[in-house]
Amino acid sequence: MTLKVYCDRMSQPSRAILIFCKMNGIDFEEITINILKGEQHTPEYKAINPMCQVPTIVDGDFTLFESHSILIYLSCKYPGVASHWYPSDLVERAKVHSVLDWHHANLRRGSVGVIVNNVLLPLNGLPSNPQAAEEAEKTLEKALAVLETFWLKDGPFLAGRSQPSIADLNLVSEVMELELLSEELHDRILSPYKKVLQWVEDTKSATAPHFEEIHGVLFKTRKEFRELMAAKSGKTE
Amino acid sequence: MALKVYVDRMSQPSRAVLIFCKVNGIDYEEILVDISKHKHVAPEYKAINPMCQVPTVVVDGKFKLFESHAILIYICCAFPGVASHWYPSDPFQRSKIHSVLDWHHSNLRQSAGVLVWNTILAPRHGLPLKHPLVAEESEKLLVRSLSKLEDFWLKDGQFLVVSSQPSIADIRLVCEIMQLELLSEKDYDRILKPYKKVVQWIEDTRRATAPHFDEVHGILFKVQKRLRKRMATEPVNYNHLKSKL
Repeated sequence: MTLKVYCDRMSQPSRAILIFCKMNGIDFEEITINILKGEQHTPEYKAINPMCQVPTIVDGDFTLFESHSILIYLSCKYPGVASHWYPSDLVERAKVHSVLDWHHANLRRGSVGVIVNNVLLPLNGLPSNPQAAEEAEKTLEKALAVLETFWLKDGPFLAGRSQPSIADLNLVSEVMELELLSEELHDRILSPYKKVLQWVEDTKSATAPHFEEIHGVLFKTRKEFRELMAAKSGKTE
Repeated sequence: MALKVYVDRMSQPSRAVLIFCKVNGIDYEEILVDISKHKHVAPEYKAINPMCQVPTVVVDGKFKLFESHAILIYICCAFPGVASHWYPSDPFQRSKIHSVLDWHHSNLRQSAGVLVWNTILAPRHGLPLKHPLVAEESEKLLVRSLSKLEDFWLKDGQFLVVSSQPSIADIRLVCEIMQLELLSEKDYDRILKPYKKVVQWIEDTRRATAPHFDEVHGILFKVQKRLRKRMATEPVNYNHLKSKL
């Protein structure tokens, strides 16, 4: 039975799984769960993943969610997956686990908070909480600084590695979500971090052409969001 | 292998690593990094862990590792004599352990620890309380997390993954919930009592890791006793913890 991947290309962890599968020639069926339309809350999807989040995989009788866990499972299951994605050396593997764990409360939390407060709430005509917005931006900037000065200090890829691991896929997909911000805010937040910017490019090159293809929906949505935000601020002047 | 473990027993993930090492007879040196005295931000500790958090382990004086889930997995694989139920080699069970540990970050960790920090520990450290909405949001998330533990993660057995034996996920998540012991007795009972499976699971994990669980939690219970004595004489406004739960 073919592996089923329930995902939304607007979701950062979903994109990491899709890029990984395509890079490694893993046969799978992509099933879109449209988050903006609330499809993750339907009873049918809740029966698959009671947390109502994407991505989820179903491999025969086995259902799994949480993208880090999925990437590790796929790395181990398919013998054709090159070892740099999830190293077998215990020390190298521990470093990959460490950055994936760090990600949750740092880059992920900051990035999601900034996008919710600067894009999703205003676009839906909802007020954003200035304190939450400020905290999210602080968390994001701190995370980017830690990436720049620690996680990327010894190599082109995270944790001093010379080739990308599943951690690079997941964290770069997260940084890419910031494309949804206005051009001005995106540049203000990211431009100080030269190593981070280079790392995004290096990960893109290492996973071409799939990276660009999978991010297509995000770029299309970026254009739409920026036009909508411009129209809104035009209306309020 | 020489193992140094930098911890503070008031820290949930620190306790998980300590209990795990003791249960598995792993030889290690425990080095206290006292958070209440800001030792985690001292230059000597920052040189070991630039994130200034506990726990950190240093293996053979060279390899430094932080993040408790990564540490527990590493020790399971690198040290001999660790029973396989802690981190099974079966890919399905192992994946479920990764899954619940990942879920933990944004759910139980983000609620239980944050709630206790914001309402009890931050004032104890002389830090200002955050906006009451923060505590309120933490409680809502805590209730959702406990419900998911009760209805989903514990639906198939005594423990989270390997139904009849604990894994690293059980130690880690139970240590997180134990932080709620710092709340008043009334609030602790009100929050946890509805979740019968969760309450039983805490007890099962405690028994499976006896006597180390109680020994490692000793300082938490000492602090709890002091706090509850103070609460009894100088009641603080815990209105945000009332019937909303």
